Amino acid sequence: MDPSALNSGELQHFISQEKEKAMVNEMVAKLTSVCWDKCITSTPGSKFSSSESSCLSNCAQRSLDMSLIIMKRLQSMNSMP
Amino acid sequence: MDPSSSAELQHYINKEKEKAMVNEMVAKLTSVCWDKCITSTPGSKFSSSESACLSNCAQRYLDMSLIIMKRFQSMNSMH
Repeated sequence: MDPSALNSGELQHFISQEKEKAMVNEMVAKLTSVCWDKCITSTPGSKFSSSESSCLSNCAQRSLDMSLIIMKRLQSMNSMP
Repeated sequence: MDPSSSAELQHYINKEKEKAMVNEMVAKLTSVCWDKCITSTPGSKFSSSESACLSNCAQRYLDMSLIIMKRFQSMNSMH
């Protein structure tokens, strides 16, 4: 590989897209693990019970809400002199 | 970098990512479902309730993973 290609905008763009995809995958895996532990407290059945379903739905949404809150807080901290 | 080698690189990377994700999921399912379903001393084979539990566990975990992925995608497309 030509060394100047390492600085190319194309490579940078490619890398940042891959990073974003990796972060999304990591977030999904983390949420799945966390919500599994929180919501599936008994022996797994052949389908989710209605309480498990609503727990999973709430868990996923609350976790995402929380990430957003924390992100905004960090951003406002960073923008303060 | 010329376009043909970058498409080839992208393809290769995607294939490797897929393999890595499958391996990671198998390891995760094994660990999670072992903890959930093997609650007593392991025997010389799985009992029928352990078998059923393992099968359900793997399927439910995958179901859940899909649900969360879709939720994430719909959230991302909102902004």
